[in-house]
Amino acid sequence: MTLSQTRPTQSIFNGSYAASTPLISSFRNSMAVVASGVEMVYDSGAEPYAVLRGIDLEIQKGDVQLLMGPSGSGKTTLLSILGGILTPTAGKVFLMGQEITGMTRNQLAKFRLKNVGFIFQGFNLFPALTAAENVEVALKVKGLRGLQARRQVAIELLEQVGLADRMHHLPKDLSGGQKQRVAIARALAGDPHIIMADEPTASLDSQSGHAVIELLRQLAKNAGRTVLIVTHDPRLVDAADRITYLEDGMIHG
Amino acid sequence: MASIARKNLFEDVPRFLVAQAGIMFAVSLVTIQTGILNGFVQSTGQLIDQSGADLWVSSKRMQQLEVSPPIPLQRLLQVREMEGVAYADPLAIRQVLWQTPKGQTTVARVYGFQPGGAFFTQWQLVAGEVGDLKTPYTFIADRANLNTLDLHEIGDRGLVGSLPARLVGITKNTSSIVSGAILFTSLETASAYTKTGTTIRCRIRAGATECLTALEDPYNQNSASSTPPKAPEPISLADPISFVLLKAKPDQNLEQLRQQIEAALPDTRVVTNAEMAEITRSFWLRRTGVGFVLGLGAAVGFIVGVVVVSQILYASVSDHLREFGTLKAMGASDWVIYRVITEQALWMAVLGYLPSMVLCLGLGSWTMATKGILILITPAIAGGILGITIVMCVGSALFAIQKVTHVDPAIVFKA
Repeated sequence: MTLSQTRPTQSIFNGSYAASTPLISSFRNSMAVVASGVEMVYDSGAEPYAVLRGIDLEIQKGDVQLLMGPSGSGKTTLLSILGGILTPTAGKVFLMGQEITGMTRNQLAKFRLKNVGFIFQGFNLFPALTAAENVEVALKVKGLRGLQARRQVAIELLEQVGLADRMHHLPKDLSGGQKQRVAIARALAGDPHIIMADEPTASLDSQSGHAVIELLRQLAKNAGRTVLIVTHDPRLVDAADRITYLEDGMIHG
Repeated sequence: MASIARKNLFEDVPRFLVAQAGIMFAVSLVTIQTGILNGFVQSTGQLIDQSGADLWVSSKRMQQLEVSPPIPLQRLLQVREMEGVAYADPLAIRQVLWQTPKGQTTVARVYGFQPGGAFFTQWQLVAGEVGDLKTPYTFIADRANLNTLDLHEIGDRGLVGSLPARLVGITKNTSSIVSGAILFTSLETASAYTKTGTTIRCRIRAGATECLTALEDPYNQNSASSTPPKAPEPISLADPISFVLLKAKPDQNLEQLRQQIEAALPDTRVVTNAEMAEITRSFWLRRTGVGFVLGLGAAVGFIVGVVVVSQILYASVSDHLREFGTLKAMGASDWVIYRVITEQALWMAVLGYLPSMVLCLGLGSWTMATKGILILITPAIAGGILGITIVMCVGSALFAIQKVTHVDPAIVFKA
């Protein structure tokens, strides 16, 4: 594990990331996520409120990257921006070499569909659907055709997270750790390059938390996926390749 | 893959049942109101439908079946003599005062026609014979009117004015919901009933004059008059009738015959059987408030349905906002979510419609059997109600769709 503040030189990021010099091209190919000068300002109340201020960040492909910091530091907002769910008020974000900050809402949705899987603190599983069905819904949304094909892939994904034997259970019949593993299986639907997780262990007990941490690490290392985790959980530090600290909307070294 | 819509719907069974009860109520309200409206419209013209006439000759100022100034009986003879007329019979419709066996009075209508003639042969007689109407002071009534007339079986009697009236036959499906009780009699009896007034008998006893009740049963031994009334007088050319019903000769052009009659009898109006039924139905539907009231009831049912389904779908979407947000975060287009909500609305429509229709058909059979009220739910109406139900439910989904459209996918990150 390397503890580092990831702040690239300004010359690389000054709007030139998409250029195709050999150096930049090589850099681009090795990075899953690159953020440059990202700012997020909300116009609520009398004065604009800056949640993120000049965030520069890059995450290498295949890394498990933690984003840590106190509550209200802007971690989740940054995750939303890096995941293409929110658009920053300033700055640029590149995912898998593509700038997403210039994309339309529909383009962003299509990009997320292909490239990003999400894991949430509250699991966000459909309570009326079984574990397998929750995964199948994601597979259908991701464009996998055929009932049998979806069922087969869902079973494989649940096997990957060690829950094949619980595939017919409803979320209410699963423990917190099991629910999160279903959510991870769902996030893996469509084989995304990047997994983004928001406090994935916050609702879990110690044992379940460790199991989820180990699972996320395996997912990154075995399949070469990039995993970005927003967390308060110090147990995750050991699983991370890099950690970025965020405070008052800025990265701190 | 499981249907998210279906599973969401059955996730909370008690809530689902409450929702379906609301939809059933709304659909039933729309169906019953529409059925009553349709039954009402149908019933106002069903006697005309069953008449078997080709043409109806009436006063020029005829409004509908029961609102038509009289024409002289002579018109009947004139029509009979016309070329192209196979046969013609009179129909006299008059309002009378009916006195039940228990002495209560109500307004009724007397339909005088020719028993054993060419018309009204398509009746569905439940009991008795049409031929019995040849006996004076007898009548046939629709079973739906028996309660109003306070009669129960063949042989029961009441009074029309001061004349007796004995039930000799019972029909079904001849009476309109809105018209009063109808007494089908011979033309002669109808004429007598029309002419009868109320007789007040007075006698002088010990220098004092004592007047007796105006309406009394002449057959009652305690009555002031114990002698049966004399037979009705034969009708004369001067007697008023309401219509002349005619059957044209085979291959006779009806339009031509109509023009011929109207030219020969300038004070008359001639309409086909279908036109007569349409005129009567249209009168009740458009010139009375009945159509509006029943239509309003159906509209209220529709609105109730929209409100109920909207609330249920809105609540369901609100409950699953985070999951829908998750789908959006994954990259699902809004249409994926719209389809889920619309499918949920369709399930609600179908599952609300089917039991409602069974309920309404059952209710219709019951009201027809016990009250003689026709709730007419034809396949076309049933299909139309299904369409309305689907529109109602899917339309209601728009509120939920609007809600989910504005969901910020970032909601998924809130624990």
